[in-house]
Amino acid sequence: MHQALLSKRRLADFVSYLVSGHKLVAPVPLQDGHFKFDEVHSLDEISLKYIPTILPPKKYFMPQRSSLLRYDLSKIHEMEEIVELEQLVLFGVHTCDLAGIHCLNIVFSDHPKDPHYLARNNFITIIGLECNDYCDSSAGCAMLHTHLPKGGYDLFLTELSDSYYIHINTQKGEDMVDESSLFDDVTRAAEGELNLLRSRKRELFTSEVPIRYQDIPRLFEETFDSDVWSQLGEKCLSCGNCTAVCPTCFCFDIVDEPELDLSKGERLRVWDSCQNEAFATVAGGENFRRKRMDRQRHRFHRKFKYLMDRYGRLFCTGCGRCSRSCMAGINLKRTISALIEERG
Amino acid sequence: MTRPKVAFFDFSCCEGCQLQVANIGETLLDILNLVELVEFREVMSEKWSGRYTVTFAEGSINNEESAQKLRMLRDRSDILVAYGSCAATGGVIGMQNRISRDNLISTVYGDQWGGEETRTVRAIHQVVKVDYTLYGCPINPAEFLSLLKAILCGISWRASDNAVCVECKFNENVCMYDRGATCLGPITRGGCNSWCVNNGNVCYGCRGMVDNPNRAGAEDVLLTHGLKPELIAAKMEMYTGALEAGNVK
Repeated sequence: MHQALLSKRRLADFVSYLVSGHKLVAPVPLQDGHFKFDEVHSLDEISLKYIPTILPPKKYFMPQRSSLLRYDLSKIHEMEEIVELEQLVLFGVHTCDLAGIHCLNIVFSDHPKDPHYLARNNFITIIGLECNDYCDSSAGCAMLHTHLPKGGYDLFLTELSDSYYIHINTQKGEDMVDESSLFDDVTRAAEGELNLLRSRKRELFTSEVPIRYQDIPRLFEETFDSDVWSQLGEKCLSCGNCTAVCPTCFCFDIVDEPELDLSKGERLRVWDSCQNEAFATVAGGENFRRKRMDRQRHRFHRKFKYLMDRYGRLFCTGCGRCSRSCMAGINLKRTISALIEERG
Repeated sequence: MTRPKVAFFDFSCCEGCQLQVANIGETLLDILNLVELVEFREVMSEKWSGRYTVTFAEGSINNEESAQKLRMLRDRSDILVAYGSCAATGGVIGMQNRISRDNLISTVYGDQWGGEETRTVRAIHQVVKVDYTLYGCPINPAEFLSLLKAILCGISWRASDNAVCVECKFNENVCMYDRGATCLGPITRGGCNSWCVNNGNVCYGCRGMVDNPNRAGAEDVLLTHGLKPELIAAKMEMYTGALEAGNVK
């Protein structure tokens, strides 16, 4: 069985089933129309309609601060590796964020593999949720080809009129469907409804900027010296919002934190950002990207050029978080449009 | 092994930063296992006449008597820490550098003035060499502990030069700009774990700006949110007025 149906009136029971087994995290409302992924205990706490959360689900795969090892200076050769593991079910993950997790998987599986990330990844179950419409005007998912499900989940829910169409992608997903006994077989009517929805989506979601996916890296290559970058540099406050909220930004710093007895302590991984002034500063005080313009250009090239060269896919998911969180009004889609316009 | 000798002193300030340590709770007992507290007016009456391993100096310097005492502390201390906003950037006291003395005295004291002579306000590093700086009004106890442990372990420590927004995003707060408020987080030096925003308040910039702020860009953002240029300047300089005064060393 690779598809199933879940009646809408049984969704609350399914959430209860999930809660009975493991910690469940899902989008919950915050103030002023914002959302975050947080622990929930029942369906009524969950926002099924939400714009991308302030932080993407990456916070569960590589937390803002996480311990890597514990040391004891009295036994200097006996450092103990720490992986803070917790069985977790992520519920309601949109396709843009599934793409973000996929990007992180690629990076942390590359040589040298990151055991902390990969161990955590094994403990996380992902239940996706389809966007039937655009979340808001910041989204660029059609341009980045992330508006339709392409794997990366255990279960994936698509809302139909009176049920959810369920794609089952893994053994873990199949076990949940079997064990909860809440699911029905797919009907021909449901199939028809899903097909109709998908064809409507193909019309509704069209590239938000007039450029083809495969042409984007060349655009960035050809506009490296564009004035657009100096304009961004004048606006940018280097606050680091764009990178913190990005589902594919993964840069981190390593810090040692002694305990109060001073002999024991922990080594931590803490999120860092190429937008922070000190990020590219090396011994001797040289800074490879001293100017804000250089740092903004670097961020965009990481998304649209450098990692495409290395991994063969764009590292922007079109979620729109960087544009939403920039108080200086730096907007990803407008920046790409400006580059297209300038290149002619 | 003798424990490092630690002392706290204050100049022009409210002493609230020292209170942060006095109120630190049980952790204070752990700290006292590591260091010998030799002078700390808020919690003890003993004095010390020898060398200090680490001196935490709170407050700004605004007369020659204070400057002389600070120089004496510098001479007698292996490590001198500028402790809290007033010591680090001059703090709110620095605002008086922009106001004429007569105006200042008549506003505050009316015709009751008969106090001590105060002059230009300076942060501690404008008078003597400082080894470490703890920013904040008040200082953040976790950051104080982090510095103290680093000094005692002999590992390097630097105050954060990231914007407050960095930690604010770690904490996944809804941005104050999205809540209809303005906030100095984007150009203010972090390290406070976005303490104010976590508790529903905006950032007032108490730690001063990051080393290289995009001040013009930040002014543009505040202008588009309806603030008048005078208010923007007043907000940005509330804690940093003293930094415009030259150094005396």
